[in-house]
Amino acid sequence: MTKPTNDQAQASPTKRFFVSMLTRDINLADAILDLLDNCLDGALRLADGGNVDYAQHFVKIELAADHFSIEDNCGGIPREVAKNYAFKMGREPDDERDSETETIGMYGVGMKRAIFKMGREALVRTRYGDDTFEVPITSAWLEAKGWDPLPINEPTEASEKLAEPGTVIRVDELYEGVSRHFANEAFENEVRTAIAEHFTMFLQWGLKVDLNGKPVEPVLVEVLVSERDDGPAPFVFQKTIDDVLVSITVGLNTGRSLGNDDDDDSGFERDRSSATAGWTVLCNDRAVIVGDKSRLTGWGDGIPLYHPQFAILTGIVEFRSKRADKLPVTTTKRALDTSSNVWLESLVKMKEGMRVWISYTNQWKNHPRADQSNYWEDAKPLSLGKAIASVAARSTIKKSDSQIEFNPQKAKVLPEPPGKTPSSRKVVFSRPAEEIRLVSKMLFDIDDEKPGIVGEKCFELTLAKAQKQDG
Amino acid sequence: MSAGSSLPYRLRPNKAVDRELFLSLLMRLAPALSLEKYHYVGLGGPFLEDFRLVHARLGLERMTCVETEEEVHKRQLFNRPVASIECVHKTLEDYLDGIDFEVPAIVWFDYTEPRGITTQIERFARTIGAVPLGSVLRVTLNANPESLGKPEANEVSVEIDGAASGDRKEKPTVQEWRLARFKERVGQLFPSGLSAEDMTQKRFGFSVLRVLKLAVEKEALNFRDRQIVWALATYYKDGQAMVTAALVVCAADDAVVGDLVKGWEFNSTPDAPHRLDLPALSTLERLTMESNDEVGAKMAFKLPKSDMGEDPITVFKKFYRIYPHFSRVEL
Repeated sequence: MTKPTNDQAQASPTKRFFVSMLTRDINLADAILDLLDNCLDGALRLADGGNVDYAQHFVKIELAADHFSIEDNCGGIPREVAKNYAFKMGREPDDERDSETETIGMYGVGMKRAIFKMGREALVRTRYGDDTFEVPITSAWLEAKGWDPLPINEPTEASEKLAEPGTVIRVDELYEGVSRHFANEAFENEVRTAIAEHFTMFLQWGLKVDLNGKPVEPVLVEVLVSERDDGPAPFVFQKTIDDVLVSITVGLNTGRSLGNDDDDDSGFERDRSSATAGWTVLCNDRAVIVGDKSRLTGWGDGIPLYHPQFAILTGIVEFRSKRADKLPVTTTKRALDTSSNVWLESLVKMKEGMRVWISYTNQWKNHPRADQSNYWEDAKPLSLGKAIASVAARSTIKKSDSQIEFNPQKAKVLPEPPGKTPSSRKVVFSRPAEEIRLVSKMLFDIDDEKPGIVGEKCFELTLAKAQKQDG
Repeated sequence: MSAGSSLPYRLRPNKAVDRELFLSLLMRLAPALSLEKYHYVGLGGPFLEDFRLVHARLGLERMTCVETEEEVHKRQLFNRPVASIECVHKTLEDYLDGIDFEVPAIVWFDYTEPRGITTQIERFARTIGAVPLGSVLRVTLNANPESLGKPEANEVSVEIDGAASGDRKEKPTVQEWRLARFKERVGQLFPSGLSAEDMTQKRFGFSVLRVLKLAVEKEALNFRDRQIVWALATYYKDGQAMVTAALVVCAADDAVVGDLVKGWEFNSTPDAPHRLDLPALSTLERLTMESNDEVGAKMAFKLPKSDMGEDPITVFKKFYRIYPHFSRVEL
């Protein structure tokens, strides 16, 4: 039996440990996206459960060798929230914000993590209603041992005020590697692409995001849908699972790799086709993952591994819930929690949809693209919501109170190639370019006919000879 | 190397100016970097003209000419103007994979084939980390938007200044169609925000250079011992539209090369390439333009504008020093 003493063992984390752990599991681009997430959560809170008019909001981001800044007009931080929650490392259980809005933040680390990732000096200036104040995070505070509270300062000069409610975060004293990235154009392009993809819905609704003075344009992720009741349409599934509304569609995108009428000699070239091919996962309108072609979204798991043949397939799955903790995302918001029930159950349907289209591309392999494009002529690219609405209006759809499902294969609306011959085999070989030119010149009187066509003609000639001898 | 690209330089005045610009860059760098000790690697075509010039101007001894086609390779062995040129029958990629440069190199990736553009750009970008510090790299890329393919007539709609064909809502314009193909072709290298207007004959070269720049800058982030100094970028068309870019791989703390390049009158980057669009001129016209400031007064006619839409007199004034003068010689 022991007895308590007056001594205590310290158990609080050191700042250095905390900061280095926190910043390690996020990359720089994602840290910036986290800050953008916060802006959007602000806009949602401002609307207080109503519809947000995103066209009223802007976010301006600056990346430079010597500083970072992000400015928004999304409502700002209430002083009480700043005092008690916003600058705490992690979210308190009594923080009741957002229980009725579809925000995505839940751990309360995004802003701090992003700041610590970038540099040693930061200033958060915010205006909520008419109340303007700022919170500096200095290198002195970062290096100090204790967890002293941060000061809250009020403006004394006009230049320290904000024109409208919103927040400005500025980070200086950037770390060397961060500074190198912020000065690099390729990194800027990476961030721009990431914003265009991950915030595509908000951008489409009119949100203005400027990166280094240039507006970011949304990347559209869409599938082709025919308006005819018996025209080709994507696989569609919608159901509420575990408080989360799950919507899935899988179909063709506007790419054209199928039919392969380019010759293949560009090697690995095709592997890179379309960023939006594969799976895009949305959680409360944020794209968590864009164009995934890995095992994560089912490729190679009971269906074939991703291959350029499938570059024309796009799948979109959306999870929507007011309970952020029910969504299958991790703390970085750019990765999936693949062990959650809602994800596992959805994955089954995602794969079902993929199988439909994989067998479709298999059927059309080796057929000229022109043959199949006739069937798709009246098809339009539509976003997930519109695709579901359009397909839901069809007479052949399976609908019950709890779910909607449409399988185009079963509904027999997918075109089949003419004269399917199961005995077809592929003949592939390579020859030096100068020999192909020579043969091309002889057969077509031009020396740059496509190698595939030259080869095919040679085969036809020989085949005719063989048939003659045979007969 | 395609059959078309062995056209002699005299039929391609813009390419000739482009080459002169590159040589002029090398001449400027030569004293600071001791280029005469460098290893020059390039594609020479059947006549190895570039090699002859590089040797003549810089006194470079170590030169390697790479050629994929056997007959051209044999012809190069025959035509070899300088005995120290090594001719190898390989692709440039295979050659570079198999060599460890002992001295800094000048490598000219003279690509003409449009289809492999992504591989070409990636290969070029990757090389910045593989060559010794001080190396000069140059790339030529095809910039003809038609190389993205031609849509079927019924696949596209038309829109000009707000007036559009009836199917505009359903179908893309040819530029939008090209943009989708370009996206597929360059994949992850696609510059965010590129639009359909960037796919026209006039703008496509800029888009290709943009992809190139992003790929190189991205690669440069991986190295802390070196920096990239963009030295020369051009955009020209003699038949096929082409773009080029040249850069120097310098030590991270080097300022000498940067200053030298920035002070050069023809310094240009992929963001703002020189548009080489020189007029075809008679000898008399040329001499008149060279020796007079006010050409209009002397020549009472207008010189035609070409496809690229540059003013012929301005372009001539900018490049007249290095504009080649071809004339016939009876042997």
